[in-house]
Amino acid sequence: MKSKLLAASGVVAVAAAALTGCSAGDAAESCTNEIVNPDATQVSVWAWYPAFEEVVDLFNQNHDDVQICWTNAGQGNDEYTKFSTAIESGSGAPDVIMLEAEVLSSFSIRDALVDLSEYGAAEVKDDYTEGAWKDVSSGDAVYAIPVDGGPMGMLYRKDILDQYGIPVPTTWDEFAAAAKTLKDAGAPGVLADFPPNGRAYTQALFAQAGSVPFDYDNAKPGEIGIDVADQGSKDALSFWADLADQGLVAVDEAFTADYNTMLVDGTYAIYVAAAWGPGYLQGLEGTDENAVWQAAPVPQWDASNPVQINWGGSTFAVTSQAKDPEAAAVVAKEVFGTEEAWKIGIEQAALFPLWKPILESDYFRDLEYPFFGGQQINKDVFLDAAAGYAGFTFSPFQNYAYDQLQQEVTAVVVDGSKDASTALDDLQATLETYATEQGFELK
Amino acid sequence: MAVLPAATDANTRAMTVADTRALRRQERARRSGTAGGRRIGSHVLLIIMAIYFVVPIWWLFVAATKSTGSLFSSPALWFDDPLAFFANVVGLFEHQGGIYWRWLGNSFLYAFSAGLGATIVAVLAGYGFAKYRFRGRTAVFGMILGSVMVPLTALVIPTFMLLSQYGLINTPWAVILPSLLNPFGVYLMRVYTQDAVPDELLEAARIDGAGEWRTFRTIVVPLLRPAIVTVLLLSVVGTWNNFFLPLAVLTNPDLLPVTVGLNRWLALSNAGAGGEQVWNLITSGAFISVVPLLLSFLFLQRYWQGGLTLGSVK
Amino acid sequence: MTTQAVDAPASAPQRPAGGQRRRRSGIERRQNVGWLFIAPFLVVFAAFLVFPLVYAFGMSLFSSTLATGTKFVGIDNYLKAFTDPLFLGGMGRVLLYAIVMIPAQLIVAGVAALLLDTLATWLSKASRLLIFAPYAIPVVIGALMWSFLYSPRFGPASTIFDLFGLDAPNFLSSDNIFFSLVNIVTWQWSGYYMIVIYAALRAIDPAIYEAARIDGASGFQIATRVKVPMISSSMIMVITFALIGTLQFFTEPTVLRSVASGALPADYTPNMYAFALAFSYSQFNYAATIAFSLGILVFLGSFGFLFLTRKQNGLK
Repeated sequence: MKSKLLAASGVVAVAAAALTGCSAGDAAESCTNEIVNPDATQVSVWAWYPAFEEVVDLFNQNHDDVQICWTNAGQGNDEYTKFSTAIESGSGAPDVIMLEAEVLSSFSIRDALVDLSEYGAAEVKDDYTEGAWKDVSSGDAVYAIPVDGGPMGMLYRKDILDQYGIPVPTTWDEFAAAAKTLKDAGAPGVLADFPPNGRAYTQALFAQAGSVPFDYDNAKPGEIGIDVADQGSKDALSFWADLADQGLVAVDEAFTADYNTMLVDGTYAIYVAAAWGPGYLQGLEGTDENAVWQAAPVPQWDASNPVQINWGGSTFAVTSQAKDPEAAAVVAKEVFGTEEAWKIGIEQAALFPLWKPILESDYFRDLEYPFFGGQQINKDVFLDAAAGYAGFTFSPFQNYAYDQLQQEVTAVVVDGSKDASTALDDLQATLETYATEQGFELK
Repeated sequence: MAVLPAATDANTRAMTVADTRALRRQERARRSGTAGGRRIGSHVLLIIMAIYFVVPIWWLFVAATKSTGSLFSSPALWFDDPLAFFANVVGLFEHQGGIYWRWLGNSFLYAFSAGLGATIVAVLAGYGFAKYRFRGRTAVFGMILGSVMVPLTALVIPTFMLLSQYGLINTPWAVILPSLLNPFGVYLMRVYTQDAVPDELLEAARIDGAGEWRTFRTIVVPLLRPAIVTVLLLSVVGTWNNFFLPLAVLTNPDLLPVTVGLNRWLALSNAGAGGEQVWNLITSGAFISVVPLLLSFLFLQRYWQGGLTLGSVK
Repeated sequence: MTTQAVDAPASAPQRPAGGQRRRRSGIERRQNVGWLFIAPFLVVFAAFLVFPLVYAFGMSLFSSTLATGTKFVGIDNYLKAFTDPLFLGGMGRVLLYAIVMIPAQLIVAGVAALLLDTLATWLSKASRLLIFAPYAIPVVIGALMWSFLYSPRFGPASTIFDLFGLDAPNFLSSDNIFFSLVNIVTWQWSGYYMIVIYAALRAIDPAIYEAARIDGASGFQIATRVKVPMISSSMIMVITFALIGTLQFFTEPTVLRSVASGALPADYTPNMYAFALAFSYSQFNYAATIAFSLGILVFLGSFGFLFLTRKQNGLK
């Protein structure tokens, strides 16, 4: 009996070894998609776009010399953690990687990205708006090719605003008044949520009030200017803290199942959102059947001088571990470089294109969104927002900066233990100390 | 390290269990006769505790039978439309080409191959430590026990580098090889071997002219069977539950174990990217993935309950 | 049994006073076969523990900042770590967890084990399985389940508290997160500890109870004065392992962070801090330092505990 047990274990072990040996052999070449031209150079790509497989297939069918081998290595931070480990250990990174614009500096400072200006980035420069290009470049250097963007607008529940006789707010003052009207009318929900973990979202709202938090140029990586405690940021944070204090807006954390449900069940009447927001809402469960959604421009501080802002947006960068940077650059430049690819991106993944040929096409401008009762939201809202966006500079330690920002915002709007001004002054001091510790010279 | 003597102590006591079973039965019988009221009180307390421990599992079971919509709208602890469970299972077969089942298969593969490997290694080492007095034994053993205290975060980067040096990143080996390390298994095997294998028996085998390896294989291994099953069970559970190692060393979705895979679905659902809300698949997937372990604990009770006594430690 | 017995010579060689040289070297050679038996383990141990540890320790002696290069700094990183408010704050937090969480688990596990030991009905057997069941659930999935159960909208809390006419607390607020985490850990591990303690209880010779009863001890007195002291060595093992686990607290708060990132900052526990430093802030050298410092403190802590309890655990 006993020896039988051991013998059985032996058999299983051998079987297991054979199995793993098998898959170990081809794991290095394993792609989620199928390779159409097996003789061509293969470029490994990490990306988490929904419906990306079709885009990859399209690329592979159209290219004889280069083939994409795609893997979804996780979304956002999951992928960055892997990439970071791979950089530190000197191997294991893909050739091309999807990165949000906000982390480009954090990786380029670690020499993790290839400067694409040497690989023909200039050829495609004119395909993108100035603001979009600024986000991926620094001086002459180009660290990634833009893919999608997040110009911001305001999605609102027309049925709720109508029910309480609230006009669609165009300024933040009107927004505050609307919040009060709604609350006074005894509505079950609130006007909106101000998530303390908004991070990029918070930063965008501050930027609208004039905040330029970082002054950084990859050409001079040892210097950084930090200004997170300017009057604009303080005013914007006070504005929300004040509304939160009166209970006129919620301060629920974003990106949780709870929050997702409240977005669509009528708890929040307004969702200040990026252009990909509609796609987000469409995918959520628990939608109120009577909901009537509409899109409008984001409220302004000064209606006569509108400022457009951006929340999120992703790019393709070539990593310094790329085996064939030239072929990798081709992938980065061309994977979202056709109308066909973009139609998949827009219709299935709800991406907002930064590639001008489609961005400026009639197709995109006139596209009707069933979720908004057929409203042409691009024409009405997001194209203007995208056109007005002038680019944004992030710090090379953006994750740290966001973590600290989140803690300060939480202290102000959730705990109420600080006022906006003190919190942002503290943030300024923390970031300055950190930058100095990291060897930066403060501008 | 010093945990050894005390644990052995408890273990020797365990050896006397069989002799005292009868006495214990009498004792129980007597007590239940005299203190019926207290017995009811004890039962009530015990049941309250059991409810506390089982409610979350009940929740998971109920949640596995709901669609995403009713997951978020119906009472958390009761069924809504139980038949949705089958729709969820179908969903698990359809979503991303049924990758969930692959993850489940990967979990089995990693857990069993690493569990078996770790057990073999531990049995050998435990015997070596228990029955041979070579120079440096105490020092090496102390080091092994001390290793339990090392925080895993310190090891991720160097382990990653080592594995990538040999081109093992993103292969099943990257999960299986590091999982062979099971200091606690070695410790358990040493403690058990010490008591279960009499020196006289080994001596007799040697006098009969059996070599060391043959003695081990034919005489020692059979005596160690209960401990081997326990260590196997614990190693399998350990690898099955592992999360951070596979998270760090695997990128290919086809290679993920079910823990990491479900977590990825969770991240996607929280991020809410278009059409990626699969809460129903997460709950039903999680439920299905815990069933095999729950069942094996149910059916292998005899082993783990006896086995955990071994060192009277974790 | 004592250390002496553990180290009893395996083959009990009775060396003749005369000392036969040949026979002795034969024994020695045979004893060295032991190395062959432990060799496979040592290979794994060297590759996946010793090497990474030495490497990480080497890393901790260098400093690398974003804007400047890498340079050797000796123990500077350690000096920094032990004055770093984030590391010390995290350390204080896990100590607080140790003080609350370990007794909580021990009481739940101990009471359950004592009850099981006196009852032998099908009901108690079923309870034993149910209480142990959470151990079979991967920690990540367990924490994930609780993050649902704690949800203000989807969790059962509101239903349950309504029964008593109370408002459900927000389990994920910064005020309550501490106990919410204590609860998860207690739920996950108590059953395991219960089995260990229960096993030790079963190993006690019932004749001792008989003697105590003749001396007039009540059931409760037997439990507290006879049983608990007799299983103290098992209890100490349980505490040691719980202590090591608690000081390295990581998985549960990391999972809950996805729904309560305000209440659980990235530096909530030292292990989380090390993780954030390495993977979010790219400070691998300092991360290695924090991980090592934590390892040292864990070692001192558990060693100190075993030293203090040396009378009960048989360590002399």
